[in-house]
Amino acid sequence: MIKSLHPSVVGPGPSLRIAIAMELAQNLDLAALGSQLLVGLSRAMVLFIVAAGLSFVLGVLRVPNIAHGSLYMIGAFSAYTISTLFGDSSAGFWLALAIAPLVVALVGLIVERALLSHLYDREHLMLILFTFALMLILGDLVKAVWGADYRSVLAPETLRGSVSVLGAPLPRYNLFLLFVGPLVAVGLWLFVNKTKVGKISRAAAADRDMVSVLGINVNAVSAGAFVLGCFLAGLGGALIAPTVSVTLGMDHTIIIESFLIVTIGGLGNVWGALIGALIFGLTQSLGVLLLPQFAIVFPYAAVVIVLLLRPRGLLESICSSDLIDSVNRKARS
Amino acid sequence: MMLQVEGAYKSFGDFGAVNGANLTVSEGELVVVIGPNGAGKTTLFNLIAGQLKLDQGQILFGGENIAGLPPYEICERGIARSFQIANIFHRLTVFENVQVAVLAEQRKSTSLFRPAYNMAVEETNSILESVGLLHKAGNIAGALSHGDQRILEIAMALGNEPELLVLDEPTAGMSPEETFAAMELIQQLARERGITILLCEHDMDVVFSVAESIMVMHQGRTLLQDEPEAVRCNAEVQEAYLGVS
Amino acid sequence: MLTGIVDGRWLAAAVIVVAALFVLPSLIPPFYVYMLALIFVTALLAMSLNLVLGYGGLYQFHHGVFYGVGAYAVALILKKTSLPAGVAFIAAPIVAAITGLLIGWFCVRLTELYFGMLQISLGSLIWAIVFRWYSFTGGDDGIHGIPLPPAISSLQSSYYFILSIFALSVAALYLIIKSPFGATLQATRDNPQRCEAIGVNVRRHQLMGIVIASFFGGVAGVLFVVLEHSVFPDLLFWVLSLEVFIMCLLGGWFTFLGPALGAGIIVTLRTFAGIYTEYWTAIMGVLLILLIFFLPEGVMGFLLSKFKGRSEHVEPVPAPSLDTTAARPSTDVASS
Repeated sequence: MIKSLHPSVVGPGPSLRIAIAMELAQNLDLAALGSQLLVGLSRAMVLFIVAAGLSFVLGVLRVPNIAHGSLYMIGAFSAYTISTLFGDSSAGFWLALAIAPLVVALVGLIVERALLSHLYDREHLMLILFTFALMLILGDLVKAVWGADYRSVLAPETLRGSVSVLGAPLPRYNLFLLFVGPLVAVGLWLFVNKTKVGKISRAAAADRDMVSVLGINVNAVSAGAFVLGCFLAGLGGALIAPTVSVTLGMDHTIIIESFLIVTIGGLGNVWGALIGALIFGLTQSLGVLLLPQFAIVFPYAAVVIVLLLRPRGLLESICSSDLIDSVNRKARS
Repeated sequence: MMLQVEGAYKSFGDFGAVNGANLTVSEGELVVVIGPNGAGKTTLFNLIAGQLKLDQGQILFGGENIAGLPPYEICERGIARSFQIANIFHRLTVFENVQVAVLAEQRKSTSLFRPAYNMAVEETNSILESVGLLHKAGNIAGALSHGDQRILEIAMALGNEPELLVLDEPTAGMSPEETFAAMELIQQLARERGITILLCEHDMDVVFSVAESIMVMHQGRTLLQDEPEAVRCNAEVQEAYLGVS
Repeated sequence: MLTGIVDGRWLAAAVIVVAALFVLPSLIPPFYVYMLALIFVTALLAMSLNLVLGYGGLYQFHHGVFYGVGAYAVALILKKTSLPAGVAFIAAPIVAAITGLLIGWFCVRLTELYFGMLQISLGSLIWAIVFRWYSFTGGDDGIHGIPLPPAISSLQSSYYFILSIFALSVAALYLIIKSPFGATLQATRDNPQRCEAIGVNVRRHQLMGIVIASFFGGVAGVLFVVLEHSVFPDLLFWVLSLEVFIMCLLGGWFTFLGPALGAGIIVTLRTFAGIYTEYWTAIMGVLLILLIFFLPEGVMGFLLSKFKGRSEHVEPVPAPSLDTTAARPSTDVASS
């Protein structure tokens, strides 16, 4: 009796149930989930490339390079200039992708040789201060060269539009990023583990004094590591350019994100940077589904949780305790 | 019994730094721990004063188990210590170094709106006088000579008015004359202030001239604890330690 | 109470300076009055940071959060409630101090670089919420036209209010640094491990330092609202925190007044360079690089060593690596 009188108390009737299921399906749209996942993953790839560069420099040089984000910005703006030189053609994009990181690497080389190399023996806070000053200068340099307007870079024709997978439209360019990220990761791994230069820089990360005792030119190793770090920042900037509007201020966001990624990953650990970037990218893009307005809160919350559970990062820092102690001690002075 | 360590174990990964150490210190005694390098003496001291946490065993101080307490609580209960490497507040003056300890002892460390310059002055000066550093009270501690820094460490420990003073190689890095003077000073402090002393030391002449009881450690284990003469005559000790070094 | 811990001449000099600053507004154009007031606000922020940075040795990387929280608290209370301004002015620093307690409670478990990074992530969390919560905080627009009591709403009167609170806060900070708490805080900076061994609960002490510093950071935030009548999320952004950090280093973080000097230099530079060129940040960058190469102890440190003929700064000896908070066993501990 009661059932028939008050159907809503015991649950919706069949037709209503279908309607709710459809609404649920709309809210938790698998296609939306899929594309958010792809957006998150592809963003994580760029974050990884940039953070790996930061991590590498931190490991070998013990310099937390605050100007790293500015180098990324220069990479993006250079990519814009190069691709517009070729009238936004496909060739223009590919050339930009090849040349922009080299431009940034060159900037890095000049800075390292002219200024930074004279500061290696100084207190750590002074090095941090230096890279901050560099950030200020490079930021204004970009403003002077490119102005404060929004710029956009066109993806090559083959990478425009999207492919449909199971009804979900997946942007081709993001799929391309998904392919590039692991490529860079493997390339870095091969460089660090299989080449002589890479091995030396890894040794320098673990024990800088030992490397110099062995008669290796530590200065050259430092310069090389810094230039590689800058190259990766530039590559990240060039890769992200087609997906965002290239503008002043993009350095501020990326640098804080990369620093947090490097910290939760384990200082100097390239694989840690990959994991950290995945955490950062995915929490943000999935947060969009959950609570769009506060999506940017999620990655920071994730970092807080990781740091509280594992204060020294998820993976072991390749620089072992040496880096941490030297950073801490030098900074204390 | 003032301090009693029973079956203490502490390992770092696979390396057992302390594998069954036993130690008893009676009130008013001067106990010396000896043993070759790597025998686990410093680790044992770090366990007693709380810098490290025990894996197994117990440490009784005045009948209560203090193992696992944070260092500041162990200090509040009456154990003060010095470190093997001069361990002072480099940028503070000699006076302030000791004063900070006295203020902690008087539980005034968190007092906010009172000027510190006229607090605990008498106590601090009396300690500085008894260790002979009063004339350097205004000097920056980091600029003191090595020997003076070691003495300052002891002075800081005295600021806590300890019942038990644990000194980790108080004479490390000192010249023979300085060593002699420092040991005189320690014995004198023990007498005047009624402090029980536990220390470790490498110089056997010094050990046998000051110790009232000697504990011998070898590979993290306690070989024996006895009066100096008994230790000197013990065959196992001679083999494990005296004979070797 | 100040006599005895302050050299009589210094005290007299301080009184004269404050008196002169009170007379000044009637002599100079409003533009300079505004700039001076902004310097006081920024200087208080920098000095509150230096309590934990210079005296506590803590990597307070995101001090701006407490400034921003204080400013937002006063703005929200004045805009959304009918409480009197006095309540808002007192409540805001307390809110900032509670924020400091919460953030600090997590941070003091970690050391140094990790302390700083955790603080940046916690602070960015707050920034992100403020930045996006349009209905409550106004999001990236911030809050403008905050109603202030008529007595302090003109530039002239707000200047006097800011100067008075600034002078009182500086005196309070000085007393705190010279108190047993301050002396012990400096000891925890020089050697936390030794400090534990002489009976000091180092973490609790550091937490107390953070709470006090965030309280005064909140006071600076209140003063900012009094001056500008508006708040925006950039107040909590990490770039501002880093800038304040730089002010301490620039002025000399081993000294009490150094951070205020650093704040004065940077605010003045920005104001004047901003008139002539849009590239004032680059100028600041070049200046910083010159500083790094030629004045590593900061401007105040340099002046002090010039005048006294010696530096107060003693070359520190690295602390022994017995790290009580680390899980990793240290070789120094294991060997004996």
